[in-house]
Amino acid sequence: MKKLSKKTLKKSFVTWFYGNLTCFSQEHMQTFGYLCAMLPIVEELYEKEEDKKKAMDTYTAFFNTEPQIGTLVVGMTAGLEEAKANGQPIDGEAINGIRAGLMGPLAGIGDSMIVGTLIPILLGIGLGLSGGGNPLGAIFYIIAWNFLMWFGMKFAYFKGYELGGKAVEILVGEQAQAIRDSIIMIGTIVIGAVAASWINIHTSLVLPGGGELQKTLDGIYPKFLSGGAVVFCWWLMSKKNISPTMVMLLLVVIAFVGVLIGFFDPGLSY
Amino acid sequence: MEINIFQAVLLGICACLSSMPGLGGTTFGNYTLGRPLVAGLIVGLILGDVKTGIIIGAAIQVIYIALVTPGGTVSADVRAISYIGIPLAICAVKGMGLDPDTAQAQSMAAALGAAVGTLGTVLFYGTATMNLIWQHIGWKAVENGDFKKLYLVDMGLPWISHFVCSFLPTVLITLAGAGMVDIMKAYLPMDGIAMKTLFTVGSLLPAVGVAILLKQVVKKTVDFITFFFGFTLAASLGLNLIAAAIIGSFFAVINYKIIMLQNKKAAAGGPTDDDDDEEDI
Repeated sequence: MKKLSKKTLKKSFVTWFYGNLTCFSQEHMQTFGYLCAMLPIVEELYEKEEDKKKAMDTYTAFFNTEPQIGTLVVGMTAGLEEAKANGQPIDGEAINGIRAGLMGPLAGIGDSMIVGTLIPILLGIGLGLSGGGNPLGAIFYIIAWNFLMWFGMKFAYFKGYELGGKAVEILVGEQAQAIRDSIIMIGTIVIGAVAASWINIHTSLVLPGGGELQKTLDGIYPKFLSGGAVVFCWWLMSKKNISPTMVMLLLVVIAFVGVLIGFFDPGLSY
Repeated sequence: MEINIFQAVLLGICACLSSMPGLGGTTFGNYTLGRPLVAGLIVGLILGDVKTGIIIGAAIQVIYIALVTPGGTVSADVRAISYIGIPLAICAVKGMGLDPDTAQAQSMAAALGAAVGTLGTVLFYGTATMNLIWQHIGWKAVENGDFKKLYLVDMGLPWISHFVCSFLPTVLITLAGAGMVDIMKAYLPMDGIAMKTLFTVGSLLPAVGVAILLKQVVKKTVDFITFFFGFTLAASLGLNLIAAAIIGSFFAVINYKIIMLQNKKAAAGGPTDDDDDEEDI
């Protein structure tokens, strides 16, 4: 009965943690990171060169997902490879089937939860601590983010290794979905606060009769123009399917026209 | 303000570590060193002005608060935003004699950072394409059973791609940056249309960053209420971001409890054949 040592598993995890995307290309995104992470596992489980080669061949298949949450898959395959080496009825094809099946769903969860929610929440708090050039915000982000990811990814790797296929339940079960839904709620509220604190769109237009348009709008709803601009950009991207880069270019045109007609005027001189 | 060769080299190394397929690794490279907020601190330390660095990094961060790269396509390159854009923005703000802690200086930084970031996508595709050469060496190694070489392919050889596509561009552009500010000052007066447009664009850009994020979370129009709840907390009630996060967490806990209650009800109402006692945690 072959059993992977803790040291080998740790080495595999650290290799993935650092090297998942270091040799990225459009053709084979995380494939080489995966190969490197599996190498310590394969070397410990198999004696003969040809067995090693056969095992490594499994992992030459294309792999790409959100790499941080994808740690779970690497841990799972370490467990499956161990089972395979012990003669259980699993072959390379089955392992690759599991890998391919999880790539897409995990990328979706990782992109929305980690990159789209956790990072903005941490950055939002960091921005809040950065007022007046205070380095505390950046330091908070560096520590909080790396702490959460190192231990979170380690947990995912070893859970994947222990539970195998059952590990996916942690991420897609009913309770997981409720937690996800709630965390996204925090993220959306924080982003609302970030928008209100950091977007400052001002108009210099003076209404006929002498009133300032900016004051009138803020009287209706504070930061009306800033909130409106967010909804407008969202509408362009979600409903009109315009790419972010095109939206930015469109804003250049809007700014230019706005300056010409006197709607915008930063009012500066050297 | 001048950037000397020693400072430029340090910025170049940071660029190698922090980009999307960066050599600092995904978590510590791309998602830590690459974030403009963190880069603001690091560039500030390198250039000897932490306060300005942080203010400018934070202003640019808002645009890129949700830089998701689904399937490896990028709309902006973090190494360019953070280690070319931020140093240039610091030079520009100081060269023009603006107080960094003003909306104008931050607009200027945002516009510069976004322009550099968009152009910087060339560097991303350059690095990824060059890595194909190393991957080719890697496939040969796998074929020959020379597996130890995989570590070199994954973590060593990409340094060459980064020397060409991250280090050199960063060093050259930041060294030339200070001169660029003088040219801008000479040919583009602050009260001219071009500069007014630049500053205005900078004030509009953070709206795009927030909208990119909302595109992911707002599925139904009702979800906007959650967003504007947070917006109102800060804009009308004047709460800071930490206070908003705590209020958000409170509602999230309630939300979680409601969903779990619903789940339980559904489980109890239907034919209860599965193990629902596992769920009362």
